[in-house]
Amino acid sequence: MLAYRQGDAGAFETLYARHKGSLYRFVLRSVREHGLAEELYQEIWMRVIEARGRYTVQARFTTWLYTIAHNRLADHWRKRGLQLVELEDHDAPAPPADEPESRAQGRQSLQRFAAALAALPEAQREAFLLHEESGLSVADIAAATGVGEQAAKSRVRYALAKLREAMADG
Amino acid sequence: MADPDRDARVSERYRALGREQPPPELDAAILAASRRRHSRWVVPVSIAAVVVLAVGVTLRVQIEERKDAEDIALSPRVMQAPASPPAALESRAQAAPQLGAREREAPAEASVDRAEPADRASAGVAVGKVSAPPQTPEQWLERIAKLRDAGEVREADESLAEFKRRYPDYRISEALRARIAPR
Repeated sequence: MLAYRQGDAGAFETLYARHKGSLYRFVLRSVREHGLAEELYQEIWMRVIEARGRYTVQARFTTWLYTIAHNRLADHWRKRGLQLVELEDHDAPAPPADEPESRAQGRQSLQRFAAALAALPEAQREAFLLHEESGLSVADIAAATGVGEQAAKSRVRYALAKLREAMADG
Repeated sequence: MADPDRDARVSERYRALGREQPPPELDAAILAASRRRHSRWVVPVSIAAVVVLAVGVTLRVQIEERKDAEDIALSPRVMQAPASPPAALESRAQAAPQLGAREREAPAEASVDRAEPADRASAGVAVGKVSAPPQTPEQWLERIAKLRDAGEVREADESLAEFKRRYPDYRISEALRARIAPR
């Protein structure tokens, strides 16, 4: 990021390639609408580009990137007035008529997992997604989301417990 | 010891949901935006580099033409017929087609002939506009000479000082020096 800030355009491409998939999935699983996810994802990168002058070597780039992502999503939830978003159908495509039973069970199990993830409280889901996608430590998640380390740890653990429960039910 | 904040089975199930990637057109738009932000500096720097190169090439051509013109000035044939373009300049002009006709004539006119005010005027040299950047050293010196002729002593002195700062190694012909030096 420092290289990009100092004029190396190729450095941005390297960073982008490294983080694009995980950031995209983090946003997509947070809002669960492809069109909206793409819009927010693009806006997050635009903020990164605009804010590159404020990046300092003290901050790990991944933490900095997800701090920006967290702030953008927080804006989004505020505007939506914390309204509940229904789970979209792209996570649950219609099963083919001749699907074998074992595969059908696997798919249903996955759907339950997706539903449990979607049903998590926003803060817990965010903490879980950050943990899975960004690879950030609990301490970094705390920094990126602006809470204490203990609160971040509790969120991750609550999320894991609920997801385990959903898996056990299957 | 296992990380209590991680569960391999949950992670595996989570990954089974899919490894979606942003659409390629979104990648392209973001990368283009990152380059645009950069080009805010890159473009002016490139323009500056091109300008420096162009000035350097022009100056070099002008200096060589001026040397030719000075050589020609020593020839009685040219002294007798200053209005016709010298053969050496013509051949060089063919070798450097990017120069306009007026630019080709300017050095010869500046070095060879002092008694052709009509030609000088046709060379398009601005008089009295110190702030306007001169296109070539030759034209700049000609402008200083015009300022002297017009009695604009201070502007001529300042412009000459600026010229010497800009082109410290530029050799001014004797004939021209007589016209631009403080009187």
